[in-house]
Amino acid sequence: MTTRLTPLVLSVVTVGAWGLVLGVLSGRAELIVAVLPLLLGLLRIGGARSPGDWTLTRAVSAARVFEGERVTVTVTVSATRPVPLLELFEPLPPTLRLVGGHNRGLFSLTRGHSVEWRYEVECTRRGRVTLGTVHARAWGRAGLEAGEATIPVPWHLRVYPRALPLRRLPGPRRMQTFVGNYVAPSLGEGLEPGDIRAFVPGDRVRHVNWRASLRFRRLFVTQYHQERNADVVLMLDTLSEAGAPPDTTLDFSIRAAAALATAYLTRKDRVGLIEYCGPFRWVRPSSGRAHHERIFEALLRADVMFSYVTQEVALVPRRILPPQALVIAISPLLDPRFEKALVDLAARGFDLVVLSPSPIPLVKRTIRGSASADLACRLWALERRARADALRRAGMTIVDWDPAEPLEAALGGLTRSRRRAVAR
Amino acid sequence: MRRLPAVLALALVSAPLLIAPASSVVALGAAALLLCALGILGVMPALVGGMVLALGEYALALRLAGGGPRLGGAVLLGVGLVLLLETAEFGRRAHHAAIGPGVLLAQIRSWAVCGALTGAGSLAASAAASTVGASMRLPWAAAVAAAAAAVALVAVALALRVARPSSDV
Repeated sequence: MTTRLTPLVLSVVTVGAWGLVLGVLSGRAELIVAVLPLLLGLLRIGGARSPGDWTLTRAVSAARVFEGERVTVTVTVSATRPVPLLELFEPLPPTLRLVGGHNRGLFSLTRGHSVEWRYEVECTRRGRVTLGTVHARAWGRAGLEAGEATIPVPWHLRVYPRALPLRRLPGPRRMQTFVGNYVAPSLGEGLEPGDIRAFVPGDRVRHVNWRASLRFRRLFVTQYHQERNADVVLMLDTLSEAGAPPDTTLDFSIRAAAALATAYLTRKDRVGLIEYCGPFRWVRPSSGRAHHERIFEALLRADVMFSYVTQEVALVPRRILPPQALVIAISPLLDPRFEKALVDLAARGFDLVVLSPSPIPLVKRTIRGSASADLACRLWALERRARADALRRAGMTIVDWDPAEPLEAALGGLTRSRRRAVAR
Repeated sequence: MRRLPAVLALALVSAPLLIAPASSVVALGAAALLLCALGILGVMPALVGGMVLALGEYALALRLAGGGPRLGGAVLLGVGLVLLLETAEFGRRAHHAAIGPGVLLAQIRSWAVCGALTGAGSLAASAAASTVGASMRLPWAAAVAAAAAAVALVAVALALRVARPSSDV
């Protein structure tokens, strides 16, 4: 602990000196006498306690939360010897916002006494939050000197992206071989009636269509559509972002990815994740609760990383990007490298949907409104539309999503159009 | 925690008005009060400036009023100065901070003890100085007082330099 005199001492000496000067100039003894208590007060200097006199523990109400959730931090200070005045300060990282109490506290402790100090923070942005250091100042009662120390109290919090509400999803055009929730065009065991054909030996009696059999005077059986699952690969563009945290295009992309992953995994589909930040980072498609956590962990790490490396889609192994998979690319379409990757994917015949969170409203929020800013935004919107049209001509489905609108509304039209396409 | 220093500042600038309620004293007092208010809100140098102006106002009031020395009032003013500095500094620290149980009570007790001790010490010192001043008449008394003041300041500065940062882990 480093003990030092505080600026209060300089203030006392300054007032004292001015008092003496005025006393001498005015020739009045009262001013000298008035300064005496100030100078006598300086005799109290000495005795800020060392950090061994007290200990600090921290408890946090949760170690894993979602964006927007609140966490209560409880700090307990225990003293082995009396501490006249202890000031504790815990700086918060920018992803945490104080919503209850204070992250600075003043305490007075007697021997064997312990004090609890609580405050509540809101987690505004996804990520791994580390609060490692508490700054402590042991003041003398007079405030003339203070001992300072930095106490490491490691604390890790995982803030997962908030999954946006989503009920209807874009259905895949091709199914996989495992049982799932989609009605496949192929016939077999299932619930959805498909075709009727003549009975052949070996058919199950329960599949006999009695109404058709009575009408035609021979046995007919009903065939059913198989119910299959699908592979869905979410492709996340982390090459660039626009807007101010915690509402950047990447933040919205990640929230959308979290929502889509949660919804598809609930339907027993296999979901994979490919993060494109120049090089590829991926999570292999799989299903289940453990895989849900794996995807969320990957989304936690996802961030914009500058790189000169540009890998080709061909380098992604088949087990990561299965040929039958529905690929949902989530990108603000700011970087031509990602557009090139999309064109590659479309050329390889992937069932590709591009969900594009628009950066324009997010950037508009961060700048002062003016005529030139409006004009720039309109030109930008035109340019975006032209690029989206170019991608549409390459056979892609582009969904332009204003992040102020619910994700479900943006995907709604797409869900209907794909349903018609699958029916055809 | 800003009410106590505000009351002290008000008392400090209005005390000279009881000695000499002149317009010049009122003007100086108003300026001092303004600076003190700024200081209490968090700008510590403004508080020091306000206190120096309040001392100037006190000196002017004494000059205008004339008469014999008012040592009791001077001691009270000095204690007020000490408490104003300490309470304002504590208020600045306690602003936007969680205050633990018993902190305020202990702090008020400490200020009361400090006020009583410094006041009593100053009274004793001024009484001793009066006795010495009455028993022997020094030539060049003003020059001696000035030299003594300078020596006192240098002594304080030296003492603080010796007590300056110590570091132990």
